[in-house]
Amino acid sequence: MFKKKKKEEKDLEIIDIENEPDKKVLIEFKDVCKKYEQGDNVFYALKDASLTINEGEMVVILGPSGAGKSTLLNLLGGMDSASSGHILFDGKDLTTFNDNQLTEYRAKNVGVVFQFYNLIPTLTAYENVALMRDIKDGTSDPKEALAAVGLSEHMHQFPSQMSGGEQQRTSIARAVAKNPKLLLCDEPTGALDTDTGKEVLKLLQDMSREKKRTVVMVTHNSFFADIADTVIRVKNGGIKSIVHNDDPKDASEVNW
Amino acid sequence: MLIRKMWRDLLKNKTQFISIFLMSMLGMLVFVGIDAESSGGAAAADAYYKKYNLSDIWIQGAGFSDDDVRTARRVTGVKSVEKRLSITGTAEKYDNAYMYINFMNSNEINRLMLYKGEPFNEEEQGVWLEEWFAHTNNIELGDTFSVKIDSIQIDAIVRGIIDAPDYVYYVSEEDMMYPNYKKCGLAFMSSEMYPDPSNMIYNQLIIDVRDDMSDDDSIDIIREKLEKAFDRDDIAVTDRDQNLSYATFDAEVRQHKAMGLMFAVVFLAIALLGIVTTMARVTASQRTIIGTMKALGFSKARITFHYVSYGFAISALGCIVGGIAGYLTLPPWILGMFTGSYLIPDLKGKVTILDIEVIVVAIIVSTLVSFLSCRKELKDPPAVTLKPPAPKKVRHSALEKSRLWLMLDFSTQWNIRDVMRNKLRSIMGIMGVLGCSMLLVCGFGCFDSVNGLVDKLYGELMTAKNKIVLSADADYDYAYDLSSDYKGQMIQETSVEFVSGSVKKSGSATVIDKGNYIHIQDKDLKPVDLNKSGIAMTSKMAGLLGLKEGDFVKWHIVGDDEWQYTRIVQLYRDPSVQGIMMRREIFEDLEYSFRPTSILTNKSVPADLIDEDEVSSVLNIAHMKAAFTETMEIMNSMVYVMVVAAVLLGVVVLYNLGVLSFVEKTREVATLKVLGFKSSKIRNILQKQNIWLTVIGICFGLYSGWGMLYIICTTVSDTLDMFPIISLPTYIYSIGGTFLVSTMVNFMFSGKVKTIDMVDALKGVE
Repeated sequence: MFKKKKKEEKDLEIIDIENEPDKKVLIEFKDVCKKYEQGDNVFYALKDASLTINEGEMVVILGPSGAGKSTLLNLLGGMDSASSGHILFDGKDLTTFNDNQLTEYRAKNVGVVFQFYNLIPTLTAYENVALMRDIKDGTSDPKEALAAVGLSEHMHQFPSQMSGGEQQRTSIARAVAKNPKLLLCDEPTGALDTDTGKEVLKLLQDMSREKKRTVVMVTHNSFFADIADTVIRVKNGGIKSIVHNDDPKDASEVNW
Repeated sequence: MLIRKMWRDLLKNKTQFISIFLMSMLGMLVFVGIDAESSGGAAAADAYYKKYNLSDIWIQGAGFSDDDVRTARRVTGVKSVEKRLSITGTAEKYDNAYMYINFMNSNEINRLMLYKGEPFNEEEQGVWLEEWFAHTNNIELGDTFSVKIDSIQIDAIVRGIIDAPDYVYYVSEEDMMYPNYKKCGLAFMSSEMYPDPSNMIYNQLIIDVRDDMSDDDSIDIIREKLEKAFDRDDIAVTDRDQNLSYATFDAEVRQHKAMGLMFAVVFLAIALLGIVTTMARVTASQRTIIGTMKALGFSKARITFHYVSYGFAISALGCIVGGIAGYLTLPPWILGMFTGSYLIPDLKGKVTILDIEVIVVAIIVSTLVSFLSCRKELKDPPAVTLKPPAPKKVRHSALEKSRLWLMLDFSTQWNIRDVMRNKLRSIMGIMGVLGCSMLLVCGFGCFDSVNGLVDKLYGELMTAKNKIVLSADADYDYAYDLSSDYKGQMIQETSVEFVSGSVKKSGSATVIDKGNYIHIQDKDLKPVDLNKSGIAMTSKMAGLLGLKEGDFVKWHIVGDDEWQYTRIVQLYRDPSVQGIMMRREIFEDLEYSFRPTSILTNKSVPADLIDEDEVSSVLNIAHMKAAFTETMEIMNSMVYVMVVAAVLLGVVVLYNLGVLSFVEKTREVATLKVLGFKSSKIRNILQKQNIWLTVIGICFGLYSGWGMLYIICTTVSDTLDMFPIISLPTYIYSIGGTFLVSTMVNFMFSGKVKTIDMVDALKGVE
């Protein structure tokens, strides 16, 4: 009884977004569950999650730690597979994909920005970005990608020689160099100080606004809700609310 | 870009990869080096035997006529037969050198290999001399060479300098085992050169069998057929295995192979284990990077290929470099020492299929390990791999639950837990220490055993200070007088052949007169008296013949056609000479006349005694010890290789392990530091575990080292019956050396405790 009621609520909100006629749906989650079983214990990291994300949107997934937001992001990025439900990307169901198809999906469509950057430590900034040419045709020129994030100068430094902000910008350059349809960011400012964080945030917002990329960002910082087109709040493995923001703030105006 | 990543990763983890490289290189160097050496030696000998047609079967007897040659030739499988007179003589001009002389009227079997001069020709007057003998005594072509056979002198012009395939190894009776070409030589002459050719009695038939019947089984069959065809009691039909020259070299090669391979396999096993551990850890340390690459969209195959190429590149490089280095260094060195002992041309190392196979297998194993460890990290979806591995499930061991646990101090508890939770790493550490101490004990133990053998030989079994070796000129009366003068003991040493069932073995017979210089020991090495009522046999010879005390053995003195059938009344052990021993009375009861070949004495012998015709040489105990030690030189040099390699391997394995465990413990150590532990205290904690593992490793190492030494001592050769001896210094060196290596390596790492930056080490989990 309880479950059913909750689902109805959510459906209502989603319909609200789908009603906008000029937007094309990029991603759709239908009753997606992710559960972990350990002996008799079943733990739901995500339970009956349904949502849609439109192309070109800046989406912020908000929630306290352990709420399931990272799980959501991993499923979006094809980095994990759902236990049940359907995930549609451009109309194709990711849950039916095998390993190789998922890999190809990640290579062609998804760019990821990690909280701890996850650059290859033995490759320079330039090489980290250039690495993308190994997995996808038609990637942007690494120099341009790095210039776009303001890193023309430190291109040939190794990650260990760069500051956190520089590393994160390299990471973003690496993610966007693939020209992915979907840019996923996992707490991209989590390891950065406020000012640097703001710069990174601005960069991401620009990707969405100017380059019309779909950017999905996971964070526990509720201030970021202000800059998103859509805010998805997650709690205890379920989706609490999906709110459309008509007039998102500019990243430089956010304070935390 | 991935290739660039690979090279940078290799560079960054250079300690580990250099260790892998060194381990695979050292392992292969020793393996390929020793295998190439023994295979090369065997191959060179085989080629030589084939090219110069070494006889397959020998028939020795009192006299062979042309009818006998025909009888032998009629036996199925026999290709050709030649007859020879094979006797000994002395070359007076060359310090009474002991000469093996062969008269023959054709030379298609055991063909002489010509160095200088003209090929052997039975029509030609002259003599063909062995190259080393000629060379050492400065004998040139055209010189007149005189040799005395039973007081008849033959003078002949030197026509050729040669070597013979049936004499790749020859020594005079007094030289024991190590050839002395100054005093022992080899001569071939046409039958025409014999003083009275018409009355010449050939005492040897040499037989070449058909090429398609030259395998062991066919030879055995042909041998039996020959025995039947002749049906005479006074002949001995033997094959190559009973031929001194062939059998000695064959045994030498097999000894190297056995010993070398045993060392090499242990070595390789430890090296492989090191590679396995290191490769697994290196891949595990790249877990997050593997996760990232996966998240970025690299396919499993790409990532697998990338990581597998690490293991492949390094192990291939190490194995191939090691193989080549081993091939280039060890065979020339060890085979170089053969020259002078074995007269075989073109001795050089040979790479065998086995070497290639082992290299390929080692590379495959290393590659497979990187494949498997990479596979493990790739199993989970990237979301999981991106996170650090879930902590291992730990259960409290029984010890931890017991009361005793609470009584232990923190460092002991910490170390016990650390060992239990890193079993593979701990086992690897123990194995490294084990390998190092095992090879050290075994290596030094070889020296000890050889020294012990020499001391036993010339101190326990033979206690005289001097040995006067008599020449063929000395008759019994001369010997008796000399023995009385020097209060000596007369002995007769002679070669004999034993037969028991289908087994034939060459050995020696020692006949002793009254005196107190020869002693024997039973199988437990306790001194016993030589039985007064019969013959005693060495337990090794009895074992080879499949006999025990109380059994009967058939034997005859080489050169004498009379066969004896005697009961073995006693068994004794002799480290270097295998055969029988008896008192003079027993010998004479068998209707032999006692002809002393040497006199043992404790009195000092004047230097001019050697000038007498009847005296061949005077050996003092130091000489004899030195001569014997010299025969062990090749074995010793192999031991050097092993000891050096053992230490290197120990350092590499332990250093590598130190790096691994240090890196893995960084966070824990940093935590302890933050909690306020002093660096020195932490160092003690780390040192404690190291000492435990080292002690355990050494205990096992000493035990397995002894086992390895036992195998080497008892199985490597037919003539040696060595007693494995490990002296106290060996224990001290081995334990001390291993401890030094292990502690030094650990000290280097525990020294780094101070340098650990707490803040840095505890920063976010990446």
